[in-house]
Amino acid sequence: MSEANLPFIGAILLTVVGGAAVLTWFERRLLGIWQDRYGPNRLGPFGILQVAADMLKLLTKHDWIPPFADRFVFVIAPTAIVISMLMAFAVVPFGPDHYLIDMNVGLLFFLAMSSLAVYSVMLGGLASNNKYALLGGLRAAAQMVSYEVFMGLSLMGVVMLSGSFSLVDIVEAQQDGWYFIPQFLGLYVFIIAGIAESHRLPFDLPEAEHELTAGFHTEYGGMKFTMFMLGEYCGLILLSCMITTLFFGGWLGPFFPPLVWFALKTFGFVCFFILLRAAIPRPRYDQLMALGWTVMLPITLINLVATGAIALWMNQA
Amino acid sequence: MTLALFYIAGAIALAATGIALTRVNAIHALIYLVVSLLAVAFIFFLLGAPFAAVLEIVIYAGAIMVLFVFVIMMLNLGNRGTVVEQEMMNPSVWIIPSLLCLILLIELSLSIASLKSETNPIVVSAKEIGISLFGPYVLAVEIASMLLLAGLVAANHIGRRLSKMDQEKDEG
Amino acid sequence: MNPLIIPLSHVLMLAALLFTAGLLGLLIRRNVIFILMSLEVMLNAAALAFVGASAHWGQTDGQIILLLILTIAAAEVAVGLGLVLQIQRRFKTLDLDVVSRMRG
Repeated sequence: MSEANLPFIGAILLTVVGGAAVLTWFERRLLGIWQDRYGPNRLGPFGILQVAADMLKLLTKHDWIPPFADRFVFVIAPTAIVISMLMAFAVVPFGPDHYLIDMNVGLLFFLAMSSLAVYSVMLGGLASNNKYALLGGLRAAAQMVSYEVFMGLSLMGVVMLSGSFSLVDIVEAQQDGWYFIPQFLGLYVFIIAGIAESHRLPFDLPEAEHELTAGFHTEYGGMKFTMFMLGEYCGLILLSCMITTLFFGGWLGPFFPPLVWFALKTFGFVCFFILLRAAIPRPRYDQLMALGWTVMLPITLINLVATGAIALWMNQA
Repeated sequence: MTLALFYIAGAIALAATGIALTRVNAIHALIYLVVSLLAVAFIFFLLGAPFAAVLEIVIYAGAIMVLFVFVIMMLNLGNRGTVVEQEMMNPSVWIIPSLLCLILLIELSLSIASLKSETNPIVVSAKEIGISLFGPYVLAVEIASMLLLAGLVAANHIGRRLSKMDQEKDEG
Repeated sequence: MNPLIIPLSHVLMLAALLFTAGLLGLLIRRNVIFILMSLEVMLNAAALAFVGASAHWGQTDGQIILLLILTIAAAEVAVGLGLVLQIQRRFKTLDLDVVSRMRG
């Protein structure tokens, strides 16, 4: 990596972290609209200064570590999710020339980083030394590890069609048609596994507030809580970026410059995920796990076998 | 440059492993072990094996170590048992194993020192690995899948809760 | 990528050091979880040696052995941790010295 890339790294970090901050406000506004209420609308135009107010509040809060907690793990836990999520943005191709690295295992790198994010939730739940937090952490571990399997497998169809793990190659291979049509099963599984992986509503069982108070981050407050939330929103943006890249042609599109297309598609998926949050109730925990192993796994395997067979047949013809 | 990165990563891997295996608290040890695995993954990357590096992170750090944390969470030991472990740290316990290991290490390094070859790694792509995995090594893949199945069945059998009858038999 | 020159002997040396560290841990520690962790360290060191050799000869074979090692590690950990749960349930301790006494 050359030093000329430093401004670009800065720009990506600023956009993602800033985007995550604005998203906290945007999500509440959209939820308000869909649920026939206002949402934050007092500060500034449309209430957008609410972001700044929230920031001030979280930053000036007393940085408290419970005396019964495991200090070392308690402090380390929230950083893991932020670091791994931000690292994953290194391989996302925002435009034909706008990417940090075109790794030949880019897709796997994304999977690796999202598999590291699970530590944050588990360790946070364990270090809090609190039964609700522990239960949340256990749930998170089981949920994220099992959905990681489907997440990885659902993307292998895309890899088969494009013949590469490199995200830039995958986007360029979609010039004749975006992959959401041939890979609709893969897309379906990827979206569900992605939500489970970023433990957002409707799959936020690790922090289900009606049964576990706040789950794994019950004991967290102030800046450390902010880190968890930042990681979650970065994860949401990352997930939208990956769906855009893998299934909806990335930067490809007529008329507008590539970066605009990428931003538009990603923004669309972010809105879609917020709508999901507003529209779907939370399943029970055992229902979620059963859905994973009895529905998602067969679907991904069928998708994998069918894609492989069709790819072979097409190559022969 | 690459050589320097290799030495740094190697030092981190060694130090983290050393710290991990001398911790008393299992969770702290696991965190250091994850650091060590990430450092080794980085070394794989430097050696021109990006596929191996990513697999190391996904499977080792992302699945196997998570399993460890999961089991520790299920046991929820807290600080119990740390006293016994602390007693293990006195010299009479570790001096003879350390000597044996030192001798083994010296023998290993003597045999390694006779190697005088520089390596200039070529990046091996995931595609080549796939081709040889499902070509000459296809039998190994089959055996590995059977091994995993056996592991799954065994873990399910061993890990299940004892039924009432077994418990009575055990205690009686 | 710029030419990488890492002496094979240094890679093997690192693998040997890691392996010895794992072995030492295996010999000294009495907690089952730490023993399993030491085993992981040793397997990982072996994998490092294989990948180093694979890089040295520019062949894929070493990395395929890495895949097999990962499989073995996964199976071993699944069974091993199942045993850990069972040991904790039956003996209320993870100390292997306590568990090692013979009983019918």
